[in-house]
Amino acid sequence: MLSQKVSEELREIVGEEDYLSGPEDLMAYSYDAYLPDALPDAVVFPTSTEEVSSVMKVAYREEIPVTPRGAGTNIVGGTLPLRGGIVLCLTKMNRILEVNPEDRYAVVEPGVVNGDLQKEAAKYGLFYPPDPASLNVSTIGGNVAENAGGPRGVKYGVTRDYLLGLTVVLADGRVIHTGGKTTKNVTGYDLTGLFCGSEGTLGIVTSITVKLIAKPEAQKSIQAIFETLDGAGKAVSRIMASGIVPVALELMDSTVMKLIEESHRIGLPIDAEGLLLIQVDGSKDSVERETQRVAQFCRENGAKEIRVSREATDEEILWFARRTAFGVMARARPNCIVEDVTVPVSKLPAMVREITELAARHRVTVGVLAHAGDGNMHPLILFDKRDREEMERVEKFTEDLFSKAVELGGTLSGEHGIGLAKERFLNMVMTPETREVLRQIKKSLDPKGILNPGKFV
Amino acid sequence: MSEVSSHRGALLSEKTLENIHHCNKCGLCLAACPVYREVLLESLSPRGKVQLSRKLLEGDLEITPRMREILSQCLLCGSCVSACPSGVQGDKLFSGLRWRAIQRFGIEWKKKILFQLLAHRWLMGGSTRVARWARSAMGKSLGEGMRLGALPLSRLPDFNPEPFSKEVPEVTQAKGEVRARVLYFHGCATNYIFGEVGRAVVDVLSEMGVEVITPKRQGCCGIPIFLSGAREDSLGCIEEVLEEFVREGVDAVIVDCATCGSAFVKEYPHILEELRELGEKVDEDLVEKARILASKTRDVMAFIGDHMSWLPDMSPQGPRLRVTYHDPCHLLKGQGVGILPRKVLAGLPNVEFVEMDAPDACCGGGGSFQVEHPEISSKITARKIKSIEATGACVVATGCPGCRITINAHLDSEKHIRVLHPIELVKMALEGGSS
Repeated sequence: MLSQKVSEELREIVGEEDYLSGPEDLMAYSYDAYLPDALPDAVVFPTSTEEVSSVMKVAYREEIPVTPRGAGTNIVGGTLPLRGGIVLCLTKMNRILEVNPEDRYAVVEPGVVNGDLQKEAAKYGLFYPPDPASLNVSTIGGNVAENAGGPRGVKYGVTRDYLLGLTVVLADGRVIHTGGKTTKNVTGYDLTGLFCGSEGTLGIVTSITVKLIAKPEAQKSIQAIFETLDGAGKAVSRIMASGIVPVALELMDSTVMKLIEESHRIGLPIDAEGLLLIQVDGSKDSVERETQRVAQFCRENGAKEIRVSREATDEEILWFARRTAFGVMARARPNCIVEDVTVPVSKLPAMVREITELAARHRVTVGVLAHAGDGNMHPLILFDKRDREEMERVEKFTEDLFSKAVELGGTLSGEHGIGLAKERFLNMVMTPETREVLRQIKKSLDPKGILNPGKFV
Repeated sequence: MSEVSSHRGALLSEKTLENIHHCNKCGLCLAACPVYREVLLESLSPRGKVQLSRKLLEGDLEITPRMREILSQCLLCGSCVSACPSGVQGDKLFSGLRWRAIQRFGIEWKKKILFQLLAHRWLMGGSTRVARWARSAMGKSLGEGMRLGALPLSRLPDFNPEPFSKEVPEVTQAKGEVRARVLYFHGCATNYIFGEVGRAVVDVLSEMGVEVITPKRQGCCGIPIFLSGAREDSLGCIEEVLEEFVREGVDAVIVDCATCGSAFVKEYPHILEELRELGEKVDEDLVEKARILASKTRDVMAFIGDHMSWLPDMSPQGPRLRVTYHDPCHLLKGQGVGILPRKVLAGLPNVEFVEMDAPDACCGGGGSFQVEHPEISSKITARKIKSIEATGACVVATGCPGCRITINAHLDSEKHIRVLHPIELVKMALEGGSS
């Protein structure tokens, strides 16, 4: 509970309408897309950097925990207010402040929805590539905090690759500016890169300058179905070694394919082990050339069925299976966790096989979707969280999953972050010395430990 | 049917409860929800309401006035249901809980006025005298320029001088070869307000070689009452409809109202099954009838779209009308009908079809929603009006009387844009004109 004085002060800062403390409203800010929940004492909706700074000054003085939040779509518990206190929700800071086509950048507030920025950029013939699956809901602020990626990551990278500068409110309320508006910028430490992916533990981002790029002239997709996973894996390696950089290179295993076929009947073979979906873009000529080559590589590696899109509508049809995959999986059981282990590209087939074996060993239903081009895999784990015994098996599966990924030279998370979900596995990938550096950084920026406490640091 | 006791046992059926546990809290529904887009508050988002409902049903929260307020801030448009990867039926859950909230707190006063002014007179007042009296009473007591929530009273449509049911013959013969035989449920809006829609349905269908039976004994589908949370009141309506419209020897039951249609296709079986599971006496026979009706019901534009070749040749005459189309939530999300009305419209010689931006976005009306929450409602409607105006169309076609009233009330009268049911455009085309 916040004291009367503090709650009055906060109301004064953000305004009566932007301060919530009723039980129903608090409950609505007690969860994100991960399993557990935790109640805050108040939710505030600042509408400017100044308001954020004023809120932080009060919180710092009173040592009240503050958990920043956007749309709350992260799936690692990153926005759960574990120690109560204030949820600082940035959804109402949602203005696109500037789009500059000449210098190819945009300045946005953190509450701007990723998809809205993409649409705005497109009006200028420009392109903002990071495309997390939640792009129609998730905010740029949240994308920065989690360093979100997406299928286009293979060619275009992740959120961090598009950040030019940030305005950040520190734990004590001071406001700093990092980076600038230029692509090249080596003045001092790369603080922009530091705040990106810090999951709200180091500061609160209140303004973001992103790089925009020219929209490619054309794009095409190729769908290839393989009898064996090895064939699919070899095709991936062949494509990646050929010099072609696909926009997206997605893999789907037989569990996912079977479930999609059962509910949609789109003609996916139920005896195939893997499906690849590859997209290329660029000038019309090069897209044509690359499409032919990619199809050829798939054929050489045993693809038994290859489809190439001719028009935008075909594109939709080819991507249907991929887009519908999460829904089909999620409907099969009450709960679905999407894991995020990432391995070197060449280890992908081995990792998929490990996942299948582990799932069988722990008697857990797991389907695999993967951004195969960058080794980023999303095993979808299905269960009913009300069944304790099943939950235990899921836990054990997850633990073994991470061990295997690390064994193969990979890591815990490619694009979802650590948050609460993977905190206890951090030692698998970080030495005590490395973790100590994280703590020292945290301490120097947030000495009282009020920013998103209880998370990975 | 006896009254359902307020707090006997569970608040909602097991099936509805189990459905909530499928919410993965992914948040994809936030992007689809017209209310969330305006308020940006998690508590008013579909995900928020689902989670709060779960807490409510698990006993961690009570139906407080704030909870009732939260539940009422939903258009029941079904957008979240279409967007949900996990198949969570938010609309059914929220309307079920609204029903419980009403049992506890009664109907909100503004909504009561709406029901008295509109519902009672449109829906239950069987005579024109009642209707005329309603308008004069409204005018006198409330005066010019008065608003009922987001709806300016002066922009509400006139009542039919005579209910449509009085003028339409019970059987309208097919012209030429008889290709099909259908029952026509005209609903209250056509009966009391948009009589010309009813005339167009009967004329167009008979031109297509369809024999149209319009039963004299037909009242309200019960859904506006049901969606507002007053479930038991709507049960009488449902029983009456099932008795009259489940018949042997008809090819389809035709509806011209998106809401009535989604009631038949989607809501009836659900409501009856839910009430039965809660311990209410509902005969299996009645549920079976609801299933039959669900399978026979076809929106009039979908029916025409299915049988385009039955339309007589239409020769172009005069200039073409620039027409755009608004998808009613209860038609697109409720019945999956969206492509066929467009196909029919685009094929008319008197129509130049243009698509608006976000044609499937809710108009913001939501029945009594616009009365209870005028601020949010007007903002949602403003987006719709902007999309309509940007097309340069002079007609907005939409197959829902609710959307029609809402959109019409907010259009700039200087711009001379008309809202019509698409069937009216088909009739114009058959008559060889574009007026």
